[in-house]
Amino acid sequence: MTEISRRVTLAWIAAASAGAFAPGLSQAAENGLPAPWANAAMPPSPGPGYGHDPDLNKADVPWPLTLNPHQRATLRAAADLMLPADAHSPSGGSLALDAFVDEWISAPYPLQQQDRALIMPGLAWLDEESSRRFSQDFVSAGEARRRTVFDAIAFRDRVAPGYEQPAHFFMRLRSLMLTGFYTLPAGMADIGYLGNVPLATDYPGPTPEAMAHLNANLVKLGLKPFSPG
Amino acid sequence: MAAYALTRSGIKTLLLEAGRDYDPVSESAMLKWNHQAPLRAGTTPDKAFGYYDATAGGGWEVPGEPYTTAPGTTFRWWRSRMLGGRTNHWGRHVPRFGPYDFKGKSRDGFGADWPISYEDLAPYYDRTEKLIGVSGANSGLENHPDSSPGVLQPPSKPRVPELMIQAAAADLGIPCVPSRYAIMTRAIDDPHAPRQACFYATPCGRGCAIGAAFQTTTSLLPMAMGTGKLRITTNAMVSRVLTDAQGRAKGVEYIDRKTNTTHFVAARVVVLAASACESARILFNSHTAQSPHGLANSSGQIGRSLMDSTGTDIMGHIPALEGRPRYNEDGKDNAHLYIPFWLYKEQAAGKLDFPRAYHYEIGGRFEMPGARFGLGGAEDGYGPSLKEDARRYYGAQVSFSVRGEMVPNADSYCEIDPGTKDKYGLPVLRFHWKWSDHEHRQIAHGIKTARQIIERMGGRVLTPDIPPEQAIQSGGEIIHEVGTTRMGASAADSVTDGYGKTWDIANLIIADGGVFPSNAHKNPTLTIMALSWRSMDHLATRMRKGEI
Repeated sequence: MTEISRRVTLAWIAAASAGAFAPGLSQAAENGLPAPWANAAMPPSPGPGYGHDPDLNKADVPWPLTLNPHQRATLRAAADLMLPADAHSPSGGSLALDAFVDEWISAPYPLQQQDRALIMPGLAWLDEESSRRFSQDFVSAGEARRRTVFDAIAFRDRVAPGYEQPAHFFMRLRSLMLTGFYTLPAGMADIGYLGNVPLATDYPGPTPEAMAHLNANLVKLGLKPFSPG
Repeated sequence: MAAYALTRSGIKTLLLEAGRDYDPVSESAMLKWNHQAPLRAGTTPDKAFGYYDATAGGGWEVPGEPYTTAPGTTFRWWRSRMLGGRTNHWGRHVPRFGPYDFKGKSRDGFGADWPISYEDLAPYYDRTEKLIGVSGANSGLENHPDSSPGVLQPPSKPRVPELMIQAAAADLGIPCVPSRYAIMTRAIDDPHAPRQACFYATPCGRGCAIGAAFQTTTSLLPMAMGTGKLRITTNAMVSRVLTDAQGRAKGVEYIDRKTNTTHFVAARVVVLAASACESARILFNSHTAQSPHGLANSSGQIGRSLMDSTGTDIMGHIPALEGRPRYNEDGKDNAHLYIPFWLYKEQAAGKLDFPRAYHYEIGGRFEMPGARFGLGGAEDGYGPSLKEDARRYYGAQVSFSVRGEMVPNADSYCEIDPGTKDKYGLPVLRFHWKWSDHEHRQIAHGIKTARQIIERMGGRVLTPDIPPEQAIQSGGEIIHEVGTTRMGASAADSVTDGYGKTWDIANLIIADGGVFPSNAHKNPTLTIMALSWRSMDHLATRMRKGEI
């Protein structure tokens, strides 16, 4: 089974099972429009930035965090769904990705302010859409129902008409959560980053296993393999 | 480098640094993890190369010290306001210029030849490489000169993505050879500046407390201090060079950045090495009644011939690299291989539609995840499959950074902005910039060839296939700006002679990239240093003979 079809199938299963436990879903899906996107003017983050010459060995975040407890809870629920616990690493919510996203969108820099203007309405939209479907906000709705909200906006080829703006928000939220997650020790261990370790020898280069993998692929591509070792 | 060479010759030297004092041993953030810094150590306007970048008090914008650009043009000017300047965080890629690179005009009719040849500089390349510590290997390729035996330190073993690029390039007839970096694989002992070999961890741009990645604050400056002949004054923003009644330089005026007071220091000789554009600015601002258009500017060439390297990046996703076996791919903080220009014969035969060369700096490895961590455009969905995708796609992307030679043109220059001053009251630079079709066609060739290499690896090009006019980076962005006080064979069309001595003022020497008459695609710092050493040796000889 190809990756795409497996993923699509998983999503169908998820949507179907969510529907079974969510009586309101079919009705909402039939006659409901997506929740409106409220592009309210975002108050800018108060700053300050860390300046051109910060103390690199202190690395404190000088700006105040700006999300309220409900927004943080919404982010934790989203992070648990985005990057759930498995055999390799814990869930995004348990690794405080809500705090990272708060730090990010509270920073007084242009990119972060742009993200702020997307993430904050996006969090409100998750509640709106969840309320419209289930009369419960995103956190209260439970995992299965949260999943149906995500399914409407998470897959690039399956964004329903009218959901484009929330899907854009989701893309950016996913990107931030990937950054937040895989820069943490647990995330780095999960993907197998093995560096940032001082060596007392010359750089050893690829392992025999890595060379064997490379050479097998070079042969497949009709390219000349290297002598192993 | 000038201070090192002069003090070594027994000449008492005062080094005026506009920025603050800086000590990489205590200040650099070596081995810190990205999650320990704000925003996962990502880039911001305050720290354009990321939180941990060594640059202190500098960047594309320096508070209170603006520059301007002419309407409709873009130029970006990187400055470092710190002891050791940009050497604290530079890329440390040090290819040598070759014989062709000094005689571009003779080869194709564009720009200007250098008044010196490769042979004039070759001994200083050897000495500089040995001094700063360069690891790499000789390639024996056309116009990519070998170092003398015993000069280079051993290269490092290539990583898997680099080997795959090498295999694909070889199949297309393109060389991919060991790169040369000012990153030491062997220790260099010195009583004043002992430097260790690289320990193959932590990005070099953070500054290197062990001295393995070359920067003057761990090497040339302490070595120069060790001679007892050097004095350093930091926070000294030089405003102008002053001249006496005979028109000779008599010293410089500077503003103490902390007290905002003006000082004068007298000197027998003034050496400007403030970086190409800053030195041009000082000369403009040193204008006198006799030299109303700037000191040492009888040729009118100051500020002209501003050049940068051309640049664009091409990224690819390589399925054959997906899910490959893990190992530590940190190594030296740069690719251990690179692709030098390989088409000199075709170019000479008129088979190419652009006149000057380029190279690729390649990339691809299991990098320490940072603020730009992503799956190379493969991000989709959420949940367990997203985590699986992260594992699969990590380390499966490669990059090709084109770095090419620009032909100087009349539309690219800097001058004094008539209306803007910095916080010290000093007039600032205004930049004019335009790439020509030479550069656009070169970039188009670089993009096309990189795409071919990616496709030969069975890969998918991630970078949108946009026209070269859009793909080329802005002037100044590669931070190889040179040419604004160019050297030449004649006082009529150049600012200095082949030793950086200004034609107009015998005791005023320029020892930075401003003197480049042309800007080979090869990163300029090694050549700036070798040239500076040669010029300072010549200056010391003149001083000993009593000519000054």
